[in-house]
Amino acid sequence: MTITRRRTIQGAAALAGAAALPGAAQAQSRLNVGFILIGPVGDFGWSTMHDVGRRRMLEVLGDRVTATQVESVAPPDFDRVANQLARTGSRLIFTTSFSYFQPTVRVAPTLPNVMFENATGTSTLPNLSIYNARFYEGRYVQGVIAARKSRSKTIGYIASFPVPEVIHAINTVMRGAWSVDPQMKIRVVWVSAWFNPAREADAARALIDQGCDVICQHTDSPAPLQLANERGVFGFGQASDMTRFAPRAHLTSNVNNWGDYYVERARAMLDGTWRPGDVWGGLNSGMFRLAPFTNMTPEETSEAERIRDAIAAGTLHPFEGPIARQDGTEVIPAGQRLTDDQIRAQNYFYRGVDVAMP
Amino acid sequence: MTLLEAILLTVITASTPLLIAAIGELVAERAGVLNLGVEGMMIMGAAAGIAVAITTGSSAAGVAAAILAGMALAAIFALLVLGLATNQVAAGLALAIFGLGLSGVVGAPFVGVPREGIGKIAVPWLSEIPFLGPVLFRQDPFVYASFALVIGVAWFLGRTRAGLVLRACGESAAAAHALGFKVLRIRFLALLFGGACAGLAGAYLSLVLTPFWTSGMTSGRGWIALAIVVFASWLPWRAVAGAYLFGGVTILQLHAQGAGVPVPPQAMAALPYVITILALVLIMRARGGGSAAPAALGTPFVPDR
Repeated sequence: MTITRRRTIQGAAALAGAAALPGAAQAQSRLNVGFILIGPVGDFGWSTMHDVGRRRMLEVLGDRVTATQVESVAPPDFDRVANQLARTGSRLIFTTSFSYFQPTVRVAPTLPNVMFENATGTSTLPNLSIYNARFYEGRYVQGVIAARKSRSKTIGYIASFPVPEVIHAINTVMRGAWSVDPQMKIRVVWVSAWFNPAREADAARALIDQGCDVICQHTDSPAPLQLANERGVFGFGQASDMTRFAPRAHLTSNVNNWGDYYVERARAMLDGTWRPGDVWGGLNSGMFRLAPFTNMTPEETSEAERIRDAIAAGTLHPFEGPIARQDGTEVIPAGQRLTDDQIRAQNYFYRGVDVAMP
Repeated sequence: MTLLEAILLTVITASTPLLIAAIGELVAERAGVLNLGVEGMMIMGAAAGIAVAITTGSSAAGVAAAILAGMALAAIFALLVLGLATNQVAAGLALAIFGLGLSGVVGAPFVGVPREGIGKIAVPWLSEIPFLGPVLFRQDPFVYASFALVIGVAWFLGRTRAGLVLRACGESAAAAHALGFKVLRIRFLALLFGGACAGLAGAYLSLVLTPFWTSGMTSGRGWIALAIVVFASWLPWRAVAGAYLFGGVTILQLHAQGAGVPVPPQAMAALPYVITILALVLIMRARGGGSAAPAALGTPFVPDR
């Protein structure tokens, strides 16, 4: 993007206008949208799918919208990058990682004329929206499939960091697995990274060597799945359809789809109707879907489809009670469900998940 | 295959890229040149390796391209620090950043292209030895290459006249020069060797360990290789110990987590670094302090001035 004097003047005008109307953006004829990505666009997972969403936004909104994207931004560099984007005219900035949530909360009040959107964040501000997908719905289906596929009755889970998003995903996988076979067990390895292909592969090796024969991953590279393929066990892809990396091992992937949301939010900026929001889209929202089931028998496929459709229709709820913590204390009794805030704050494993909380 | 054998196999594959890169850097540093750009040369090797392997369909061509890419970057570095006698630390850091950036450009068309990894080759007869056979002699060609490199370098540095001359350049460039040796040429060759090894280590990542390309996939392994050279006090055999200690602790902590050992994963993740530093401290205490570094390490040499 080039910065012309006209653009600077435009930016200044928008700034003055927005200052008069704090929080509420007003209609604009043109818009520059900033994107800050945690990994490289080519991670073939999380960041790739945000890039796909950005391109979708440009395609739909055409000339009225431009985008500036900065990839592989480490959280300590966040403030600098966000300020730079704001200075060069981005009026809407998507900060696409949970690792950016706290930095975004810190920076947003200092840039009141820029609207922020944080992916997987947990609270809003007058100029900060949060958006996320209910990936746990897909994890529940993965748990069901894993229980059908596993001979050793042990799932291996490659986890990134012990944050609620990952913890409730582990719980949900086990919920799904126990619905098929209450004997299912899980082993968890934390690799302390969202993206480190060789370490992710080493973690997969360790889990397979310890007898896990279905690998779930909460990290972004296709390395674990590729290794599962090599070692003759099964696995699930992350963020994008990873079938081609593991033609013999791939079962399904959660496939993220941010494009429609980005279109909607950029359009709201253009129309002047942007308001801070909290969107948590499930399987029925189109924010993510499950990649076509592969390496499964027709019966397994139809069962997985039935569960997926029940979750999308709201007849099956992954966070249905009774839920108890590892030490046996009850969280909610049968007949109740966790609220969204309770799900987002989940920092305990369920009773029966035989893994130490880090 | 027993669990122990499986763990050892994984330890060897995790340690091999560190070892190969460290051996190359060790030779360059013994000649008196500190090249901090290992990470950059390594990732260029990874990018060039998979790019050529995918384009030509030949893994061997990919490996050759990786070696050449590492050498090309080393040659640029040599131009700066030997030809222009610039500061080696600054030039090395620049090389690391340059390599990371350039590899992203080179690799861009190959993002998300899957490829079968290079397979393992069992050495006939040797691989039948109980326990040791499956662990040591049913490996991929890179592991054998790393064995050969260590033996070759140890022999070269310790037992040959050329090795002695190379070490002389690292201890006192002026003295070597006074004896009529071409210090800059020797250092240039040592740097090229270091680049070739770093490129080879990169190819191991993108062609064997995780056979696909993503930018930044070396994830700091080049820096670890640099640390291993120091850890090894510039001795090839100790580099083996350093690389396998680091790789071994990395893998064992993953296994410990999988087995449910109740230690925080953050502490586990830091363990390889802690153990390496601890071992370094113990070695230095046993030696009674003092530096084992080549005396002229990092000092530019300008003949006849």
